[in-house]
Amino acid sequence: MINVSGLTKRYGERTAVDNLTFDVADGRVTGFVGPNGAGKSTTMRMMVGLTRPDAGEVRYDGVRYSDLQHPARLVGAVLDARCMHPGRTARNHLRAMAAMSGIPVGRVEQVLAEVGLESAVDQRAGGFSLGMRQRLALAGALLGDPQVLLLDEPSNGLDPDGIRWLRNHLSAFAERGGTVFVSSHLIGELSLFADDLVVVGAGKLLAAETVQAITTRQAVTVVAETPQPADLVRLLDAQCFTVQATGDRLVIRGTTKAAVSQLAFENGIRLVELSESAQSLEDSLLDMTSASAEFTSA
Amino acid sequence: MTTTNPTMTTTNPSIAIPIINPAVPRATGNHSALRTRSDDMRAVPAALRSEWIKLASLRANKAILVLTPLVGALISWALASSATDKKLTASELFIFPLPLVAMLATATGILMFTSEAQHGTLAAALTARPTRWMIVTAKAAMATMVGLVLGATAMAAGFGGALLGGVDVGDESAIASRAAWALLYIALGAMIGLGVGMIARHSAGAISGLLMWAFVIESLFAPALPDGVVHFLPFSAGYRLLDAGPNFKAPVTIAHELARPEYALIFGGYALVSLAIGTLLLYRRDTN
Repeated sequence: MINVSGLTKRYGERTAVDNLTFDVADGRVTGFVGPNGAGKSTTMRMMVGLTRPDAGEVRYDGVRYSDLQHPARLVGAVLDARCMHPGRTARNHLRAMAAMSGIPVGRVEQVLAEVGLESAVDQRAGGFSLGMRQRLALAGALLGDPQVLLLDEPSNGLDPDGIRWLRNHLSAFAERGGTVFVSSHLIGELSLFADDLVVVGAGKLLAAETVQAITTRQAVTVVAETPQPADLVRLLDAQCFTVQATGDRLVIRGTTKAAVSQLAFENGIRLVELSESAQSLEDSLLDMTSASAEFTSA
Repeated sequence: MTTTNPTMTTTNPSIAIPIINPAVPRATGNHSALRTRSDDMRAVPAALRSEWIKLASLRANKAILVLTPLVGALISWALASSATDKKLTASELFIFPLPLVAMLATATGILMFTSEAQHGTLAAALTARPTRWMIVTAKAAMATMVGLVLGATAMAAGFGGALLGGVDVGDESAIASRAAWALLYIALGAMIGLGVGMIARHSAGAISGLLMWAFVIESLFAPALPDGVVHFLPFSAGYRLLDAGPNFKAPVTIAHELARPEYALIFGGYALVSLAIGTLLLYRRDTN
């Protein structure tokens, strides 16, 4: 179990991470979601002691990262896939990492095979594609056979096959009891395999819940088409529903298809079309974070 | 999952139950045990091994190792074959290439840290070993070793180059002492490089700054300074660890020279202070 408590980081006047508190449960994949500049990477760097928090702390089963006896055997982290010397081969990159943590060198070949880089062991990292670098970085995180994986945008640069492989790998890791904390701005991708979500915006915690809880709370939109739109709008307004009318077509929020159907039937309003659509998880999360997005497109 | 953020409080007790497939158990062992001081001491050899792999696995370092004896042999040979003063001997000339080799060692010391900082592998090292002093100890030991190896190969090649240039072997009794002081000079130079690299964290900036200081500021402006100040300039002090008899002139003339151990203390002081500042900054700065 990872406990993040009151984590705060300021850069001058700007508060990058603002009193962030959440837990990451064992045996589950927890997605860490937020727009660019939300403080995801800063939070993850603080979780492994690379960035000094101004306040708060992170504990792994009650122990601070800097106090862990074998950090690499508990936590495997990929915070930047570019973190490798371009002149060093994949094998030597991992050998140096393994030596630093006192991990047997035989493990290097195992993890390289695990991430599908057996054919590139003696290639220099400078010639690697971003996807290959992601795989090598993940191999580094897996070296110590850790119980926790912290991954910052691990699917960047991976091809669709690589993304599927990563998704399956992380799910299997969690199913075996491991803890996965993975950040991504690809919410749709994350929703396919995350069990829980921690949502941040402008450094603040916006939500920390199961994917299921967010899904069941998703807003439902009802679309109705009627030759008597003015009458139906009047009735819906009286019920305090949000209605957007375009000609004969009404988009209604805050109610259900059954309720609209009942209302129309009781008041003798003819309906030509009635349909209901649930908001996607991606839309829900974008709604949640839109107010805090630092960079938005026009 | 439980959050205690004042803006939202969500509790879902179902999340706290881990989903574990008993058929494929995770690695066992108490990996969240607390680190002790003796754990740190036991981990130092591992950090040294890691630093050695990093050092030995880069072509640039291998190139420096090949280049150093070539430079040493070439300089000594050129000086010996062009010397009009035939009093020069191989036992003096073998240390003549060392000021240049000291710069190579210093640059290697710089790169030992800056290349890691720039390529992000420092983050991986600090994630594996959050104890900063251990990383510094391992790097300082490796920088010392680099200095000793570069110094020894340059001197051996310099000696051979001087003989090939046609000078006599000369007084062999002083060779061991000269070589020992020279090795100290090169090793301290590599450590100063490491310290400067830790402070600057940028390869080009640190190397150009150091070369600018050594060759421009100290060489051009030091002659205008009084002896009392020149004694304390780092490379002027370091240079005076080299002892090649009366034919060997330091670039800056000093009326009242200090004893060689005093210059060693001054040069060593710069190495120590730069490493101490670098270590302090490593503790205080965020690592990218």
